[in-house]
Amino acid sequence: MKTDDVHVSFKNVQKSYDGIKLVVKDLNLDIGRGEFVTMLGPSGSGKTTCLMMLAGFEPATQGEIMFDGRSINNIPPHKRGIGMVFQNYALFPHMTVAQNLAFPLEVRKMEKAKIDEKVQHVLDMVEMGEFGDRRPAQLSGGQQQRIALARALVFDAELVLMDEPLGALDKQLREQMQYEIKNIHEQLGVSVVYVTHDQSEALTMSDRICVFNDGIIQQAASPDDLYERPENSFVAQFIGENNTLTGTIDTLHDGLADVTLESGEKVSAAAIKVGKVGESTMLSVRPERVIVNPDESKVPFTIAGHVQKLIYLGDHIRCRMTVAGNDEFIIKMPNDSEDRLLAVGEDVRVSWKPEDCRALDVI
Amino acid sequence: MVEEAVSGTSLLKKLRRTERRKKIEAVGLITPLFVLMLIFYFIPIGLMLYKSIDNSQMREIMPHTARAIEHWSGKGLPDEPVYTAIVEDMKVAYPNRTLAKAGRRLNFDLVGFHSLLSKTGRKLRKLKGPPYKEALIKLDKKWGDPRYWTVLQRGLKNTTLIYLLATLDLRYDDKNNITHVPDEQAIYVSIIGRTIYISIFVTVLCLVIGFPFAYIMANATTRVRNLMMIGLMLVFWTSLLVRTLSWILVLQNKGVVNSILMWAGLISQPLDLVFNRIGVYIAMTHVLLPFMVLPLFSVMSGIPSYYVRAARSLGATSIVAFFRVYVPQTKPGIGAGCLMVFIQALGYYITPALVGGPKDQMLSYFVAFFVNERVNWSMASALGLMLLLITGSLYLILGKHVSITNIKLN
Amino acid sequence: MALPIHASTGERIWYYAFRVICGVIFIFLLFPILTIIPLSFNAGEFLHYPLQGLSLRWYHEFLATGRWAVAVKNSFIIGVSAATLATILGTIAAVGINRTDFPGKQLLVALLISPMVVPLVITALAVYLFYARIGLNDTYIGIILAHTILGMPFVLITVSATLQGFDYSLIRAGANLGASPVRVFFKIVLPNIIPGVVSGALFAFAISLDEVVVVLFVAGPSHRTLPRQMFSGIREHLSPTFLAVATALIVLAAMLMLTLEMLRKRNEKLNSPV
Repeated sequence: MKTDDVHVSFKNVQKSYDGIKLVVKDLNLDIGRGEFVTMLGPSGSGKTTCLMMLAGFEPATQGEIMFDGRSINNIPPHKRGIGMVFQNYALFPHMTVAQNLAFPLEVRKMEKAKIDEKVQHVLDMVEMGEFGDRRPAQLSGGQQQRIALARALVFDAELVLMDEPLGALDKQLREQMQYEIKNIHEQLGVSVVYVTHDQSEALTMSDRICVFNDGIIQQAASPDDLYERPENSFVAQFIGENNTLTGTIDTLHDGLADVTLESGEKVSAAAIKVGKVGESTMLSVRPERVIVNPDESKVPFTIAGHVQKLIYLGDHIRCRMTVAGNDEFIIKMPNDSEDRLLAVGEDVRVSWKPEDCRALDVI
Repeated sequence: MVEEAVSGTSLLKKLRRTERRKKIEAVGLITPLFVLMLIFYFIPIGLMLYKSIDNSQMREIMPHTARAIEHWSGKGLPDEPVYTAIVEDMKVAYPNRTLAKAGRRLNFDLVGFHSLLSKTGRKLRKLKGPPYKEALIKLDKKWGDPRYWTVLQRGLKNTTLIYLLATLDLRYDDKNNITHVPDEQAIYVSIIGRTIYISIFVTVLCLVIGFPFAYIMANATTRVRNLMMIGLMLVFWTSLLVRTLSWILVLQNKGVVNSILMWAGLISQPLDLVFNRIGVYIAMTHVLLPFMVLPLFSVMSGIPSYYVRAARSLGATSIVAFFRVYVPQTKPGIGAGCLMVFIQALGYYITPALVGGPKDQMLSYFVAFFVNERVNWSMASALGLMLLLITGSLYLILGKHVSITNIKLN
Repeated sequence: MALPIHASTGERIWYYAFRVICGVIFIFLLFPILTIIPLSFNAGEFLHYPLQGLSLRWYHEFLATGRWAVAVKNSFIIGVSAATLATILGTIAAVGINRTDFPGKQLLVALLISPMVVPLVITALAVYLFYARIGLNDTYIGIILAHTILGMPFVLITVSATLQGFDYSLIRAGANLGASPVRVFFKIVLPNIIPGVVSGALFAFAISLDEVVVVLFVAGPSHRTLPRQMFSGIREHLSPTFLAVATALIVLAAMLMLTLEMLRKRNEKLNSPV
């Protein structure tokens, strides 16, 4: 990404509410023009605070926030021209839908005729053309969501912030709205900063995801990188399902680590975030990458597993087993006719390709 | 299928029966209170309202006249039987001293009636007759004046509108038409107007003062909010008389306010702040302020902060956001607060009576005045009816738009 | 509510002006009450500052004067009786009102709480005229009944508020476990709504203690209450003893307020899930 394409940039931003505890610690992030960036993390991780600082509702304690190449620390929210979709939509209950949409244009002193035209245009865009005279309370959750989105877009904001905008909708509606938001984003080419704690939402919609924890961006990467190549144990465990095993590093060579597990068994993994030989590490392997009862000659190692429980899920079978002392070790096996079905109580051998397992930091 | 249908209806019956039982239980629980209120509240109010048009006392004092005069056409003078009847009635009423009562009542309608009756009563024994017509006219020529007979006929009906008309500065003229009273006697319309004016003024003051107070309270830190709430509740719970007394002391010539102003050199003579309209406004606003702040606060603390934030993100300055987005959402609170303050202010008696001057008294004061000083229950009741009418109609009109449930008691 | 760094000059002025205004309002609110308290300890006979030394003489006079003692006694007899009656009848009626829906319920509720909105002087006049017929003027029972009616709406409202958080299935559970309706009321309903009942009772007591218009109309000389005594006193011969009485009433108000606050917290705790 070229520097002149940077739309928003956080430079060494810190935030503290009480002067003691830092909610956001040294945030550095560049957001490209037209990019869809999601801030993902558990509640209290600092993601919403970042959004509020960008919108201008919370001042940064330290550091600078740049928008279109200039610092906006001292610009009040109403002069930033950043659209925002609120968690509870924040549609003004005493105004009709059309009045809600006209509000940002009226405060910008636009002509009446122009306002009407723009309002109708944006209503049509979210397929709500008939609803201008309704009150927000007369709309369904999904419709309110569309109006909230339309209101953030109506004054031609180039950057739109969304704070858990779909949190109040049911699953089906949420998926439909994800698709529509993505569609509008691509149509208009606006930059979007999206906050959510729902990882599947983040994976579906984003160009790039910033995983927040403890006031720090743990990893900022595209959805597939984040899933396939987590850089630390937090990300590995936060995104998708994951098995963890702890052990001690024996040797490090060619980007691989040989590890002795707590059970004494020896395995190999890709060395991603590890210390020196003799230190502890946490191994992370996805359930679908574990091989059960492999041809022992074709794999570098096998370890023992004991089947605890089988759950039949149609397209695949989920198996919980004990591996190297971990009772919660999950394996997903495709439901193809070739494989012999396992039985509860059976002892098996499990293995994985060293590059499918990542040796990470201990948390 | 048949069986199902049968059990279906019996189920419905059972359901109805339990519902009915619940209703009977509910009614049974409410009844004791309702009966008490019926006997000691609703019936008395009904009787009081009737009192404002009730005229039966006059018929009891002059039963014969009442019957005889019913048939009088109202033209010229009545015939001999009416004169005979009134003499008979007076013969009973004068020694019973009820004649004076009738005189006072009729004097209300036509000045001079009281003296006519007492004069006639005194000389009744010397009167020769029957026939009495000429004898009475000879005794006092007012008995030959048809105006007196018109008033008497009207005054002996079962009900009368004179008190209600009086509260609107209206009266009957000689020909039984309703006319305005002479300007120098017209006081009640201006009293009603004053009552409404003072109430509106106090309501506006309460809103102007209460709104920022409630706003800060709803948006302050917990500590500040609790402090403000405690202050407000302490005032709310302090006796009305204590608060009124405090204002008299604070606002008097040597009171704290005048002392501070003189010390600061802003004034050289003490200001008259009490026993006049200013004192009434200040004290009533203070007394009624909690009724404005509490509903406002309860509505405001339910308005999430994200509305103003949304307005700001859409380009509104904080002042535009406040007036266009925040204030409209407080309307239910404003409505409930204003209604509560205004309705209470309309009926205020104690505070204006203590801190106001003679020209600052409201309707309630005159109700009390007619009971305690004039012993004219009918006039008191008529003024009471007007007060109830104003309060009640306001409550019904405005009550539709604002919910009284916005008023919370804590 | 903190002032952001990017606030404009106008916003800054508005922000501070608003706070100053609120401070002034707060002073306006508490000022008269707070000035009266020190004056009640004045050693001299003047009703204004500066104080001429401190003394308790006015409190002594308050306690020693027979008239005041009678007024205090009357106020408490009437207040406690009216509050008790209002609480019993109001609580029972509130349970009935919240039990089920029936036609005309809203109208009934409006009628029952109407003593709150009807001007006091009308209540006073109506009761006075009615008592004149049945001979209840100049009696305790007359004042008590009138005050019961004035205080009852508050009981109805506070008890209804706690009943809204009350789970009626508990009544069914109690009955299912074999308790009689009366037992269910005392063992299950009452303990759950007791904060509302007590605050209603305190409200009713405070209303009676403060009420003067009805007393003015229907009470005879031997039934003068504290506020009645103060009312005529303020009009005729104001003395520093009144300030001692006022201070005592302020302390009483503070105590009532704190009790209610405690009850409210308790109610919140009862109603909030653990």
